[in-house]
Amino acid sequence: MTYKTEMKQLRKHRWDTIKHHPYFGFLIIVFLMFAVQLIRLLGVDVPVAVLRAFGSTMIFTIIALGFSILLGYGGLASLGTAGFVGLGSYFVVYFTNQLEFSIFLTIVAVLIVAVVLGTVVGFISLRIEGMYLAIITLGLSEILNEVFKRATALTGGTTGEGIDGIIFFKNLIAVDHNTVFIFISIVLFIIMLLTMNIMKSPTGRALLAMRNSSSAAQAMGVSIFRYRLLAFIISTVYAMLAGVLYMTYWSFTIPSTWSLGFSLNILAAVIVGGSQSIYGIILGTFMIFGLDLAVFKQIQFFVDNPAITIVLNGVLIIVVIMFYPGGLIRLVQTLGVKLKLWFQKLKKKWRDYYYGSDIE
Amino acid sequence: MVPILNKLQILWYEKRIGNHQTKHDFLQSFLPIRIQELNTKKDQKLHHLSLKKSHTILPYEIKANIKSDYWQTVYEYETKKIETKYYWRLRALTQAMKRKQNKSDHWSVEEPKHLQKIQELEQKKQTELAKVKAKFVVNPSDLNKEAYASNNEAIERAYQDQLAQIETKYQNKIEQFSNRANNIIAKHKERLDYYHRKLKIAEQEKAIYPMDENVVLKLDNLSMHFGGLKAVDQLSFEVKEGEIFGLIGPNGAGKTTVFNCITRFYRPTGGLMYFRNNLGEVVRLNDIVVHDIIKEGIVRTFQNVEMIWELNVIENLLVAAHTSYRSTFFGQLFNSRLLRQEEVVMRLKATKILEDLDLSAYAYVYPYGLPYGILKKIELARTLMVNPKLIILDEPAAGLNDAETENLAETIRKIQKEYNATIFLVEHDMGLVMNICDTVCAVSFGKKLAIGTPKDIQGSKVVREAYLGGE
Repeated sequence: MTYKTEMKQLRKHRWDTIKHHPYFGFLIIVFLMFAVQLIRLLGVDVPVAVLRAFGSTMIFTIIALGFSILLGYGGLASLGTAGFVGLGSYFVVYFTNQLEFSIFLTIVAVLIVAVVLGTVVGFISLRIEGMYLAIITLGLSEILNEVFKRATALTGGTTGEGIDGIIFFKNLIAVDHNTVFIFISIVLFIIMLLTMNIMKSPTGRALLAMRNSSSAAQAMGVSIFRYRLLAFIISTVYAMLAGVLYMTYWSFTIPSTWSLGFSLNILAAVIVGGSQSIYGIILGTFMIFGLDLAVFKQIQFFVDNPAITIVLNGVLIIVVIMFYPGGLIRLVQTLGVKLKLWFQKLKKKWRDYYYGSDIE
Repeated sequence: MVPILNKLQILWYEKRIGNHQTKHDFLQSFLPIRIQELNTKKDQKLHHLSLKKSHTILPYEIKANIKSDYWQTVYEYETKKIETKYYWRLRALTQAMKRKQNKSDHWSVEEPKHLQKIQELEQKKQTELAKVKAKFVVNPSDLNKEAYASNNEAIERAYQDQLAQIETKYQNKIEQFSNRANNIIAKHKERLDYYHRKLKIAEQEKAIYPMDENVVLKLDNLSMHFGGLKAVDQLSFEVKEGEIFGLIGPNGAGKTTVFNCITRFYRPTGGLMYFRNNLGEVVRLNDIVVHDIIKEGIVRTFQNVEMIWELNVIENLLVAAHTSYRSTFFGQLFNSRLLRQEEVVMRLKATKILEDLDLSAYAYVYPYGLPYGILKKIELARTLMVNPKLIILDEPAAGLNDAETENLAETIRKIQKEYNATIFLVEHDMGLVMNICDTVCAVSFGKKLAIGTPKDIQGSKVVREAYLGGE
């Protein structure tokens, strides 16, 4: 048509290409997480529990993403996540309190240790599979937990240990939750991009091939040795990095947090959310770690009866697993389709009401 | 020490060759695409420019009554738009009237109000229509041809200038890009030649095994014992280049075991296996690890289809090209340029293979729920991703109906002819084997019974005895 309409179409097309870019969703998610902080800055009174819920969701999403590469892509079960996260957090304690190193240096050190640990666990996984592997990793985690309890000089023992602040470059800066929130959301965004890249790349495809059938994968040139090791290294790196972030946010760590329960929670988050979808994992993590603090604790009835929240959470998980084995992401997708249909119906109804039916 | 160094040297050359080959292939396939892209972009720009010109010249043209037909259609379009808009508004008003009529007790009081509203709407419509008319339809008394003539010239000149600018700009762009790309292609080609020469020299030091010129695979007294059971016993045969070789035998004769030995899933108890790979050199398969077999050019399929159900068909094909990727893990982590280029090259290759096998309709479909015959064909397509020298098919016709088997036979022949691959298959469907195979080898209890053309085997007494039992 005319010049103006054509230009309008062109602009719309440009916006569409931005909208459908794979990274756009991550930006939205990080922005939503961050919006809680923005609302607070505007003067609206947001309860501290809600902020904490979002903070911990962001941190634990990183662990769950690593776990999804291990379980959803590699098909390897592990219950040793808690030990690695705990180790990461104790590294921050030691490096800040005793050695007075910068947080960035700590991250580098943690990455190196994580690679070594991941290699060790990967080597174990070469000979053992399935439930047995889960139990072996659980044992490893329990060993680490016992070390946290006994090595009092380094870890503070069963009473836990805290840090007074973070050393970014030279001086100790008292931990401010808002700045740390920014730091964590940036790290989460980067981690989501990297995870997405791995999942879409030949590596992700090779991992999926290994999960479906190890013999077919080998016939197609996928080295089982290499990719099992890789899956474990990635998940360990993510877990220990999340441990460092946990320490920057909460500035206190205690061995009782890093028990079997935590590992099971991460497993539940991945299974509930959908083990192969990044968005699903974010939803699942929020359901396991954030729902209680962000929603139930804000309603007076549930505050009076705290036992009900635990039961309700359990029932929710059972319902999701029973009816949506693909995870919460499937639920969201089907709901989306249904909502669209319902909306169309509503639109037609309104049209008939407002303009009169065509048939008359 | 020297063999290890030699091996490293060869590995390094192979890696370099792979990198250069990918970049070379990518640029060669990308060059026409990019040029076309630039051309369409240029066309779009020119189109917009002409639209803009007509937009600026519009008022003068109407005043001069030039191109009156065109402007008449635009005028009609605009009028129609306004009319539909007011049609819906009127309909909403009458509907509201009807609704109130049923409810209201004082309709006689309210009715004039509604009627007035409808009248107002009509007036509004008329004013809008008049506006459009004033814009597009000109009175004979207002005709002004001089203003058009003077303005048209200036506008036309400016338009021509801009047009020439855009033309030259894109011409330069295309020229620059193709020059640069061709330069890089030539450079890569030069490097490729260099590394191929170096590789040839390095490979001369490698161990050379004896094998006839036209033979691809040679088994020399292969044995595989499971405890006391001799699954394969002193089996030896040769597979010639470019033929379709069939291995037949009753159930439990050890056919699949032979396959598993060749592809290194089993470690044979005794015997040697030689293979002439893509580069024309003879390798001993006993020395190669199971996941490196594919690099030599041996691909296999499985008895029951082994798909990756979470990936669509084209990505399933890309998994088979896993060994052809040169980008490292960190390259993939950060979605490097090399990876993106490789992805383009591989996807183009996969699409071509799917087209060849009449599977392009399924390229972006998830394999879950597809018919068994299609899945088998997809598996065949998957083997072609690595330019195989030898394709090993484990019971390709199992679970297929007659029509699908016919189709499969055609596909196998096509692969043999167009992709220059040798095919080695185990099959129970005698019709298929006798139909397509050039050479057939019959085995029973791990021992070779007979080898020859399908006719020889059909006439062989030993084979018949093995299948149907002695007298």
